[in-house]
Amino acid sequence: MPEPDKISEFSPSELARYSRHILLPEVGSAGQLKLKKARVLIVGAGGLGSPAALYLTAAGVGTIGIIDDDAVDLSNLQRQVIYTASDVGQLKANSAAARMSALNSETQIIALPEKITAANARQIIGAYDIVIDGTDNFSTRYLVNDACVMLGKPYIYGAIFRFEGQVSFFNPTAGCYRCLFPKAPPAETIPNCAEGGVLGVLPGIIGMLQATEAIKWILGIGDLLIGRLLLYNSLPMTFDELKIGRDKSCALCGDNPTIKALVEENIVCASQYSDKELTSTSTSTSTSNTISARELSQLLSHDNAPLLLDVRRGDEYILGNLPDSVLIPVDELEMRLDVLDKDKDIVVYCKSGARSRRAEEILLAAGFKNVRHLTGGIMSWAQEVDPSVGVR
Amino acid sequence: MLVHIPGPLLSYTNGQKSLDLSAKSLLELTQKLDEKFPGIKFRMIDEQDHIREHIKIFVDKEEVKTLETSLDATAVVHITCSLSGG
Repeated sequence: MPEPDKISEFSPSELARYSRHILLPEVGSAGQLKLKKARVLIVGAGGLGSPAALYLTAAGVGTIGIIDDDAVDLSNLQRQVIYTASDVGQLKANSAAARMSALNSETQIIALPEKITAANARQIIGAYDIVIDGTDNFSTRYLVNDACVMLGKPYIYGAIFRFEGQVSFFNPTAGCYRCLFPKAPPAETIPNCAEGGVLGVLPGIIGMLQATEAIKWILGIGDLLIGRLLLYNSLPMTFDELKIGRDKSCALCGDNPTIKALVEENIVCASQYSDKELTSTSTSTSTSNTISARELSQLLSHDNAPLLLDVRRGDEYILGNLPDSVLIPVDELEMRLDVLDKDKDIVVYCKSGARSRRAEEILLAAGFKNVRHLTGGIMSWAQEVDPSVGVR
Repeated sequence: MLVHIPGPLLSYTNGQKSLDLSAKSLLELTQKLDEKFPGIKFRMIDEQDHIREHIKIFVDKEEVKTLETSLDATAVVHITCSLSGG
């Protein structure tokens, strides 16, 4: 039975809305009141943030902040279920907040359409009880983790890649994300979201697991994922649980911490680097030759135009490609070099520039002399030359 | 023993998520992996034979920090990698 002393804290409509929670002995009206008084910050309104935001709003969390400086893209709708087609082009934080308010007007939604930075992280995170990490890049992930440790805030970690995801709950006294992964992978090995791909339902599952952990923490029920890393793989449909813990040598929360202030690390995926930066940070010793979309467009209008080599997958090629281009996916390139003329000028392209750079290195190593890759890939071609080309 | 490969390294294993291998130590396991899938060891282990900081290796669900770790025939090895997507 609901606890009578807490029932008065709710309006009749709230009691009706949350009745299935209140009926649970583990929640009751006292638990629902804890949810009503809770303040949750969701960092990133993308694949993870979308389901987490919707379920926390529906659950009756009293205040939810949602921060993201990005705008909704049509390609987001495959998995970011908080948005509709009419939101494309709008700021995610504002669109998400509008949807959340429409779902539950009893919840106070705070839209933060801005980037979380070393300068504002303390102030923003400090205003909440707990943080859900829905970020899609290592720079923000480490920044949010560091701020949570410094502020003593619990941090619910979630991350995804193609068909698999990871979830854990970091309590500042029991380890942090840096204890698990002290450093990000080398930039040239990090595929960006556009190139990595992701099964649409995957962030839904991981984001809902994060929301579940937040609700359990607020209610004080169940066993949190503290000291446990949950691995989910959608293809074999497996959940694995691994033991993790505080690392005494952690640079942030270890016995002799060296990180004492918030710093934004500039960790980007390969295709986000300028070519100069990529060459200087890559372990490769080869020199990268690039060409912009506009330069390529001019070159193609002349005689002796270069061979255009598309190194994306076949399914990407079918959706849109450059005229007269030849398709050889980068993973097959080394086996099919014999179909290419070593004396011909070649311009390699992919979606945004990471795979074409790998392909360029393969060609140069194989003795091809006149190889360049298209900076920004076919996406930059669509932006600068021909918007009609398909790049989904 | 069963070895689980993380998504970001599946391009080395031709998409094989789980492998059945035998090795007496983690060092031998990484060498065998590299013989079978050239280049994969360097993605996990640096030049000083340390596990890279964005990689975690678990044997029977417990984290291991050194390649000297001995393995028995029934061990289950999870190689995990930090993921950036969200």
